[in-house]
Amino acid sequence: MLDNFNRLVLANIGMLLDGLGVTLYICFCAFALSIVLGMLACMVRMWVPQLRFVAIAYIEFCRATPILVQLLWVNYVWPDLFGFPETAMQAGILALALQSSGYLAETFRAGFEGLPKGQREAALAVGLSRWRIVTRIEAPQALLVVAPLMINQLAVVVKSSTLVSVISNPDLMYQALKIVNQWYEPIEVLTVVALTYFIVLFSLSSIANHFYVRFQTKYGLAAGT
Amino acid sequence: MFTYLASTFDPGLLWEYRETLLQGLQQNLIIFFQSAVLAVLLAFVVGNARASRSRPVRWMAICYSEFFRNTPEYVLLVWIYFVVPLIISKMIGSRAGFSPHVAAVLGLGVAYSGFLSETVRAGLRSVPLGHAEAATALGLSPFATFRRIVLPQAIRRMLPEATNQMISLFKSTTIVSLISVHDILYQVSVISSSEMRPIPLYTGVALLYCLIIILATYLLNRLTDRWRRRGWA
Amino acid sequence: MSAIIETRDLRKSFGAVEVLRGISLSVAQGTVVSLIGASGSGKSTFLRCLNYLEQPTSGAIIIDGDVLEATPASNARQDRKTITRIRTKLGMVFQQFNLWPHMTVLQNVTEALTQVKRTPAKEAAEIARHFLQKVNLIAKQDAYPSRLSGGQQQRVAIARALAMQPKVMLFDEATSSLDPELTGEVLQVMRDLAQDGMTMLVVTHEMGFARDASDRVLFLHEGRIEEDGTAAQVFGAPNSERCQRFIASSLK
Repeated sequence: MLDNFNRLVLANIGMLLDGLGVTLYICFCAFALSIVLGMLACMVRMWVPQLRFVAIAYIEFCRATPILVQLLWVNYVWPDLFGFPETAMQAGILALALQSSGYLAETFRAGFEGLPKGQREAALAVGLSRWRIVTRIEAPQALLVVAPLMINQLAVVVKSSTLVSVISNPDLMYQALKIVNQWYEPIEVLTVVALTYFIVLFSLSSIANHFYVRFQTKYGLAAGT
Repeated sequence: MFTYLASTFDPGLLWEYRETLLQGLQQNLIIFFQSAVLAVLLAFVVGNARASRSRPVRWMAICYSEFFRNTPEYVLLVWIYFVVPLIISKMIGSRAGFSPHVAAVLGLGVAYSGFLSETVRAGLRSVPLGHAEAATALGLSPFATFRRIVLPQAIRRMLPEATNQMISLFKSTTIVSLISVHDILYQVSVISSSEMRPIPLYTGVALLYCLIIILATYLLNRLTDRWRRRGWA
Repeated sequence: MSAIIETRDLRKSFGAVEVLRGISLSVAQGTVVSLIGASGSGKSTFLRCLNYLEQPTSGAIIIDGDVLEATPASNARQDRKTITRIRTKLGMVFQQFNLWPHMTVLQNVTEALTQVKRTPAKEAAEIARHFLQKVNLIAKQDAYPSRLSGGQQQRVAIARALAMQPKVMLFDEATSSLDPELTGEVLQVMRDLAQDGMTMLVVTHEMGFARDASDRVLFLHEGRIEEDGTAAQVFGAPNSERCQRFIASSLK
């Protein structure tokens, strides 16, 4: 067992670490892009009545389509239709970002619309302008509500990122399966990879939970005052 | 431009292969129902264990749900398909193996039992202790108290979240194609590599899923709303 | 004495329901006016119309010389400036306090000073501390609202409104969501303010406050002023039978 571990995992540790690097890179890019897209979709949905329908269709499509289907769709269909993405890496990032942006858009909206009405009224009553109410009263509070949810969404992106190996992105999962196919000894490598993902995801959800509890106790956001 | 689009999207291709595709979808549905049943059963066991008085039982339940909630489904699926049979073989001393179908049901079942056990726990905890005490005070047995007083209320609280979980489970069934279960996505990839025309197939399957999920979400929400209005869920 | 608040035939409808059915009122500077009446009588809506949290359907509001006519076409851009000016002249205290939870007590009070009045930060903090002193909460200036009791939160909300140095203070059931043992501290701050000569419009269920602390009491019924007089008159010998019954049942 230990022998196998040395032979399969330690001997290939460089490959696995490269894979982890690719995974993290893809997740980071996808998440950053999805924040931008999600914010955009959310703002259009809330504040641009003429395009509201388009935003809803976009959000619903992103959320309702399984990530693997989206991934294959973006990878095989988009290049012919739109001329991009040009690489599997871009396709992976784009598909993950699309999916995640749909969820984030709804998260952002809930953050804004969940604020008690009195918050805005109190700001109006002292004469704050609409813009200041959004930037100084509503957005900061929405962010406090939304931040833990965003970290959870990042965890979802990491989870889904295992699938980019399917379109041969050399991520952690891809490298693991490559080693498995080389040696036909899956136990050690797959277990180590599973535990690696578990550690990353567990840390993310612990951080999210930590912030959630902290914001609740410090600012009492649930109290609705 | 328009003719180009029409020719690339060409729904005729979908129609030509409708039987194969529907057979694939049927596989997805079967796996969905089987793993959903497994997930719900496990979730109730684990969710109750998390409320147990015994500390070790509670800890095991926490580890179980944290592990399965925080491991990607694809990794679990591959692990169960490749690793678990080997471990079993070593233990019983002869070759054992799963069909891809069994591995798919097991993988998705345990993965979602992790999420669902949280839902079950939250639902059970949401029932005020006083309700159970009132029932006990009236002489109901512990089992009757649980079944007739606690459970109905808990299920009502669980329903919206459980519905969401079921919908993601259905979406997740697409990944079983990766351990070569002959589901719809598997058929699509086979057909599109033989026909060399990925656009209509992948677009079609994306839209199909989109439609199914939106419709299912809508119907499930209406159903749970109706149950709630009738007051029995 | 000149009127600081005047309304002329103020009306407000929510859909088909007319909540305010023509309220004409003139309040002299330095007067403390209590508005009483059953729930749904329109007293809160009236207060919220004064600073345009609700837009009146018709009628006019004149606050310290600023005139706002509510016409179907109003609330256009030129009105915005007037509305903001009026809002800075009216301090409002809400039933739910509505402190901003992501800001400390001090920041809650300085926010409008720096953002609306463009007071330099240092000066704003000084003003804020002065008013926090006044409501006896200077010790809590760096705490977040979630750490305060309801009574303390409401006193901060009063300081927040006072810091803008308004001409008039509006109290919208300021003690209704407080536990009985916490209403006293808030009412005391309100009494002190009245003593200092602040003009106040107070929507309240606290009959004690209405009777002892106000110069003038209005009884509203179904969107109209049904009784208007000094506290002694309204509580001692109201003309309207409805008002009589309302007071009798509230004082029980």
